[in-house]
Amino acid sequence: MLEELQRLEPFRAEVRGWLAANLPSDWRRRMLGASEADHVAFQEWWFGKLMAAGYGAPHWPAEWGGSGFSFAQQIVLYEEIARAGAPRLIHYFVALHHVPGTLLHWGTHAQRERHLPAVLSGKEIWCQGFSEPNAGSDLASLRTRAVRDGDHYVVNGQKTWSSNAHHAQFCLLLARTDPAASKSRGISYFILDMKTPGITLRPIKQMTGASHFNEIFLDDVRIPAENLVGPENEGWKVAQSTLSSERGLSILELAERMKQGFALLLADARVPGPDGVPYDDAETRRRLVDIHVRIEALRVLVNNQLGAVLRGEALGVAPSIVKLYYSDLLRDFTRLGASIRGIESQHLEDVLMGGPNETGYWMQDYLYSWAWTISGGSSEIQRNIIAERGLGLPREPAAA
Amino acid sequence: MDFELSEDQHALVSALQAILEDHSQIPQSARFDSHWCDTDLQAQLEDMGFLDAAREIGGLEGALVVYETARVIGAVETIGRGLVAPIACPGLELSGPVALARRDGLHLAIRNLPIARMLLIEDGADVLVLDLADGVVEPVETILAYPYGRFAAPPVLDDARRFVGAGEAMRKWWRVGLAAEIAGAASAAIDFTVDYVRTRKAFGRPIGAFQSVQHRLVQRHGYAKAAYYLAMRAAWSGTASDAQVAACHAQSGLKELLFDLHQFNGGMGMTNEHLLHFWIYRARALQAEAGGPTRAALAIAAARWDDGLSEPEERHLSMARS
Ligand SMILES: Cc1cc2nc3c(=O)[nH]c(=O)nc-3n(C[C@H](O)[C@H](O)[C@H](O)COP(=O)(O)OP(=O)(O)OC[C@H]3O[C@@H](n4cnc5c(N)ncnc54)[C@H](O)[C@@H]3O)c2cc1C
Repeated sequence: MLEELQRLEPFRAEVRGWLAANLPSDWRRRMLGASEADHVAFQEWWFGKLMAAGYGAPHWPAEWGGSGFSFAQQIVLYEEIARAGAPRLIHYFVALHHVPGTLLHWGTHAQRERHLPAVLSGKEIWCQGFSEPNAGSDLASLRTRAVRDGDHYVVNGQKTWSSNAHHAQFCLLLARTDPAASKSRGISYFILDMKTPGITLRPIKQMTGASHFNEIFLDDVRIPAENLVGPENEGWKVAQSTLSSERGLSILELAERMKQGFALLLADARVPGPDGVPYDDAETRRRLVDIHVRIEALRVLVNNQLGAVLRGEALGVAPSIVKLYYSDLLRDFTRLGASIRGIESQHLEDVLMGGPNETGYWMQDYLYSWAWTISGGSSEIQRNIIAERGLGLPREPAAA
Repeated sequence: MDFELSEDQHALVSALQAILEDHSQIPQSARFDSHWCDTDLQAQLEDMGFLDAAREIGGLEGALVVYETARVIGAVETIGRGLVAPIACPGLELSGPVALARRDGLHLAIRNLPIARMLLIEDGADVLVLDLADGVVEPVETILAYPYGRFAAPPVLDDARRFVGAGEAMRKWWRVGLAAEIAGAASAAIDFTVDYVRTRKAFGRPIGAFQSVQHRLVQRHGYAKAAYYLAMRAAWSGTASDAQVAACHAQSGLKELLFDLHQFNGGMGMTNEHLLHFWIYRARALQAEAGGPTRAALAIAAARWDDGLSEPEERHLSMARS
């Protein structure tokens, strides 16, 4: 892997140069506490710039408008984006990762033609409608129903925690089409146009004050049959493609960003407190080193996972190990941030829209870090996976 | 970088593992001892050239030998003979185990001293090499998993050879070796415990089916994996800072590791009828030698941030808030 990356040094220099010339140096100031509208406008603008430079969809195949970059090139690009402290394209996360990850594998040609170019134009935003009030970790127990009615499916039920649904034109939806089949067998996968009559959205206010996700109520919502993705009743398999698409290089970007975010933590420890003494005592130093060392451990774990991808090997439980390590570490990292300057760092400040997970507004970062041990498969679920498939421990007995 | 082994490294590890497989059993006579030196294995590693890997191939290969041999039940000396001495003291002729000590620690019980032919002494910027004559070392009774010994009388250093400027390399590769050996002992102890919880039953099912057991083992497994990769990265890069990070991380996870593994072996884990203690006491001994996680952390802080708590590589960042 190292040699491959070394060959890409000219590409790295090109990306670094481009970022230096194009990333507005004041973006953090502009996006701190920005309105939703300004945030969306800025994300659209930045995505457009990246697309024009050929960096917006590095993992998409060239035939669908992506850069068609090699995996090694993508590694370099994400490292440089993280290193430059550029905004995260959070507004496009589902559209850029889940949509191609699903449609390129399972979608019809018509579905791809309809949606993939639209996503890259920057105008089509997507959300994910998997979780329900009574189906989170145990997603296969979902109850939203879809009943075939001529050339449509009629959907009734409720989704929740749907990130960015308030901006989305389309939703990746899971619904039950065969209630008689065993849990994961009777589920189908749909593209839902969010303008369809019968959809009601309710934003959910989070403990940080922001509203990032939503409840979606579905009352007699009619979805054309051509919006079915993959075969009827095989939506569970399709959903696995969706979920694995988020485990790609985003973790590399997050690990590299964390390394950058560490500089902010050090800066805070350096500032003298009310008594004029920096927060640079032995205990703080020990805690700082603990985070520093674990960031290095995270980076070797991530690199090893990427190396396996490059060699075309099966990943096994590596993504679970990395996700678990990252989310535990993020919580401890941001907790140290929120305590390092005493009460000073515990005020709830403005949100840095489109920022990394370590913005340096520690109380926000700390509270938001809790999302990482829950979303995308909770830490407990990851530990189950590693125990059973990695360590070969016996499965948990099924519920009676 | 990633740490997938090259073909040659794979070949080295496979050849070594084939030999180690023949040393996976402890002789009945040593079954209840607190430590057991596998002198046959020590001789085999020496004769077959495995302990020359660091000098003849590279530090990473030397560290792989340390890691793999730390996984077997019998103790062998590899850090001194296989890693520190060949790299820190080029040209020094080596044969047989090498013990390691600090100049200000010559009055202490020193690991491997009774079996060593030679002692490397870290002396500030330099390294002193002392040949050990018969009768100068007294064994020390210990429950730690290695042979320990003490000088019967303070050693005379007049005749010791001095390797000028080798002190930094000795400190660095000592750390790499300790990190690799702790990682090896940790992974072997985890494997041993995973086997145990798969077969030991309670309430009608293997105890490894209980989540509270599974999840803690997964945490320890993640620690051991990271410890291995960090040790290998340090051996590959040869930088002082990577060596510090590896040694600090390897020590930091031990408290939980020792507690959980003993816990999951139940009452058996408290006995020396069970083999767990061989690896556990190995890790304890290595940690004591490395100075403990707090000291390691403070040393990193001092090395990296003494010019005002900032990261050298990250000064380019214009991430100031507001
Ligand atoms: C910030 C954020 C954004 C999200 N965005 C979306 C989105 O866009 N679209 C979407 O569909 N969903 C989204 N989710 C939902 C997310 O997928 C679920 O929250 C997650 O699957 C957990 O489900 P739950 O919240 O119902 O928790 P539950 O499943 O009720 O779990 C509660 C607790 O029980 C534990 N638990 C559950 N099962 C087990 C078990 N077998 N063993 C041990 N412990 C167990 C869990 O680990 C957790 O600690 C988002 C969540 C968050 C936090």
